Amino acid sequence: MATNAASFRRQHRIGRAVIYGSLFFMAAFYLMPLWVMITTSVKHLDEIYAGSFIGLPQQITFDAWRTAWSEACNGTACRGLKPYFINSLLLTIPAVIMSTGIGAINGYVITKWRFPGSNVIFGLLLFGCFLPFQAVILPMAQTLGMLGLAGSLPGLVLVHTVYGIAFTTLFFRNYFVSIPDELVRAAKIDGAGFIRIFVSIMLPAALPIIVVSCIWQFTQIWNDYLFGASFTAGENAPITVALNNIVNVSMGRKEYNVDMAAAMIAALPTLFVYVVAGRYFVRGLTAGAVKG
Amino acid sequence: MSRSTPLSNRIENWLPRLVLAPSLLVVLVAVYLFICWTGWISLSSSMIVPKYDFVGLNQYVRLWSTPRWHTAVFNLFVFSTLFLALTTGLGLLMAILLDQKIRVEGTLRAIFLYPMALSFIVTGTAWKWILNPALGVQKVVNDLGWTSFVFDWIAQPTFAIYCVVIAAVWQSTGFAMAIFLAGLRGIDNSVIKAAQIEGASLPRIYRTIVVPMLRPAFLSVIVLLSYIAIKSFDLILALTNTGPGSATEMPSTFMYSATFRRDQMGVGAASAMMMLMTVAAIIVPYLYSELKESRDGH
Amino acid sequence: MTKLKRMLLAAALGLPFAGQAMAQTKIEGLHVWTSASEVGALKVITDKLKTMGFEWQDSAVGGANGANAQQALRTRVAAGNPPAVMQFLGFEGLGWAKEGVLRSLNDLYAKNNWKAALPPVMLQFLQQDDAFFSTPINMHRQNWVWANKSVFDKAGIAIPTSWDELIASAEKLKAIGVTPIAMSDESWQIEELFESMLIDVNGPDFYKKAAIDLDETALSSPEMIKTFELLGKVRGLHDAGFTGRDWAAATNLVANGQAGMQIMGDWAKGEFLAKGMKPGVDFLCFPTPTATPNYKFVFDTFGGFKIKNADIEKGQDAVAEAIMDPEVQKKFNLIKGSIPARLDVAMDDFDDCAKRSFSDRVAAIKNNAIYGSLTDGFAVEPRFSGVFQDVVGKFFVTDMSAEDAVKSLVDGINNAR
Repeated sequence: MATNAASFRRQHRIGRAVIYGSLFFMAAFYLMPLWVMITTSVKHLDEIYAGSFIGLPQQITFDAWRTAWSEACNGTACRGLKPYFINSLLLTIPAVIMSTGIGAINGYVITKWRFPGSNVIFGLLLFGCFLPFQAVILPMAQTLGMLGLAGSLPGLVLVHTVYGIAFTTLFFRNYFVSIPDELVRAAKIDGAGFIRIFVSIMLPAALPIIVVSCIWQFTQIWNDYLFGASFTAGENAPITVALNNIVNVSMGRKEYNVDMAAAMIAALPTLFVYVVAGRYFVRGLTAGAVKG
Repeated sequence: MSRSTPLSNRIENWLPRLVLAPSLLVVLVAVYLFICWTGWISLSSSMIVPKYDFVGLNQYVRLWSTPRWHTAVFNLFVFSTLFLALTTGLGLLMAILLDQKIRVEGTLRAIFLYPMALSFIVTGTAWKWILNPALGVQKVVNDLGWTSFVFDWIAQPTFAIYCVVIAAVWQSTGFAMAIFLAGLRGIDNSVIKAAQIEGASLPRIYRTIVVPMLRPAFLSVIVLLSYIAIKSFDLILALTNTGPGSATEMPSTFMYSATFRRDQMGVGAASAMMMLMTVAAIIVPYLYSELKESRDGH
Repeated sequence: MTKLKRMLLAAALGLPFAGQAMAQTKIEGLHVWTSASEVGALKVITDKLKTMGFEWQDSAVGGANGANAQQALRTRVAAGNPPAVMQFLGFEGLGWAKEGVLRSLNDLYAKNNWKAALPPVMLQFLQQDDAFFSTPINMHRQNWVWANKSVFDKAGIAIPTSWDELIASAEKLKAIGVTPIAMSDESWQIEELFESMLIDVNGPDFYKKAAIDLDETALSSPEMIKTFELLGKVRGLHDAGFTGRDWAAATNLVANGQAGMQIMGDWAKGEFLAKGMKPGVDFLCFPTPTATPNYKFVFDTFGGFKIKNADIEKGQDAVAEAIMDPEVQKKFNLIKGSIPARLDVAMDDFDDCAKRSFSDRVAAIKNNAIYGSLTDGFAVEPRFSGVFQDVVGKFFVTDMSAEDAVKSLVDGINNAR
């Protein structure tokens, strides 16, 4: 009996070692690109051009970070990423709020106020998820031109909101499906109306999925390049467009350390969102997003 | 319901429809009308700007006589299959391992999840170096003493697409992991305990009991990953820029270069329509079955 | 709005008003220049504009060999919101001019007699149906070899006089442990090599027939096969790290002495100069070797879109005048590495490579041996040059035979017609 327990414990210990070993191995693989980016961003350019792409820096310098933030040139405007960072915030925050809000209401209607055809409408919305965006750029540009929103941040906010609705509706629909209909029915009997039920019953219960939807939308919109390059220009450009201009030098010497620092700066908000809100993300998914 | 419904009640009845109407209208325009527009352009002789004439299926014939398009279609098939299989498998493995009461779970989860936060404009260069035989993994291993080690897929036209798969899997596995982990947390622990008491080994419990219970999670993962696979555009441009020698061309990059670089808007529109039809052929039956199920359920 | 009205309005709104408060008209320019030397050069133009009373509003969209900027431009035009001026390379401007959306600069051309100041080969890219729509600022030469002098000396290599000699010298470079040719597997960089061979081996007339007129007999001729075979000989002469390499990183290999030479346009020169290297002393620049001297050009122009606004029209005129100012052309090109578009700018302050480029251009104009670069969009329209790029890029990185390459080139061109 004692030997049995010992062998079981040994087996258990080996099992734990294998689990930890594989997890740490995968973690190392996942951190590799981050490692390359960080070390490169603190190297001197000459060191990089001398062939040191992956190793440790011989000498650490933060010049590249300063250059990327406040001096790097996007065309002739050498103001670093700062103004474009602000543009991206101004654009992402309203677009995330609007698309999430609309998605919440849509999900609510589709699950709790079903009417003939509401499922078809949901299907129509959902198909929009899979639209290749390159195909809609030109007609969208014409539409924005007609609306007088061409080349402006509000125009871009509108575009992101429109193409975000499909996913946010999907998230909220899948979440609200799991809230018992009886709850809504009881509230109706108590005399609560469409809006009351939404505000006082559904929304408070929806916090986890609101987090998921916001994280998803924030990542998608913050990292978008295609729409940003198409529907804004010059000073209105979001950070990805500015970053692209810094990174994609067409003819000239690439400043890899500044590129990497700029890339890190551009990624900070999304990294922050994932690292800080990551726990809520998984919790939100647990709470219902995966219940098809 | 009496005939003399008060006005407020009637508004209440129509309110859900009214609320949904703007979304529907916007999507009808921004998705379906634009698809029609693209379809029209694909039948026209448009080159640098849209032209509204009619040339039949000429642009489709031209599209299918372009070898690069064949490469693109083949690559999409290879890429999507491998990407879906690997990301789902690896994500599930990670989630199961993380679910074993791991001490540093929070940190590990953040590590697996962070690539999702980065756009490929950001990580493309890092991956380019890592995969480059003269700078990255191969060089590091060679320098460590294993001089015959070769890892130069990115330079090989037949293997470069697998490099794209590696980078894409790296980016998206965390997301699959999060969904699976969420699914696992939703499973009642007593089921596993009961099976353990009956003497089933842990791998067997997962294979026969837990994984089948994750069916909804699988569906969500596959929908989201297909979305990512179809949209893979930044990834290609940043990592291989469709090279070497157009070997990593994808439908999305093909459409982009035809429309915006080569002044062949008609061909670009035709390729967009082909993509849309492919997506529709896969997604519409899925949507239909899903929605039918949920209608039957209620 | 008249000045009086504006004053009245300002007074009515209680706004502070002073004569100076009228801001300079902003002129938006969309371009692909994002590197330090490019932006530095562009500043020469924008500074000049400022003295003329116009403020340059910068819209840079770099990357993807100009595709990103082209995409931005197309969406802007579709939205009815085009930029005031746009940078055009090769056929890009012609395409838009054909659509009738570009403003004619004929008055300015006539008034300043610009036509006479420019190389005649340029004009076909500046006008459509007798209307000039853009002004050129510079001229790059595409067919250059850049070599590290000390490496060449060490290997005992003289400047080659033919492609066979150049390829033979690669063995000597290999013998001293140097990568013979610094390059990348990016299709356009390989095509730079290919198009130099095409004109050098077969002569300018053949180049015109094959790469400009797209004559099917020339495209499927034995000469074409020969050219691909020559390109095939370069397959083993690069290093393993050429995957996705930036052209500037390749130039740096030459500058550091890790590689012997690079075949690239003269935008590569800036990399050597930035390291304080001197032409003829530390590095060599010589045209790709040939028995029939030729000159392949690339140049940047700016054109204006039709916008119904008198102030913007004045600004577009000012941009054209600034660009054609000989002093601006000189300062611009000293920074950019190219030579002035104008034939009448004194070359005294330029380096030897630029001087060589300038005198070779004069000779090539006389001999009818000056043609547009295929890679950079000055030979044929993008849908055709794209086919060349596809085939050449694929040929080089696979073991495709020259015959197959020629066949897929001919098929591809016919498919795009």
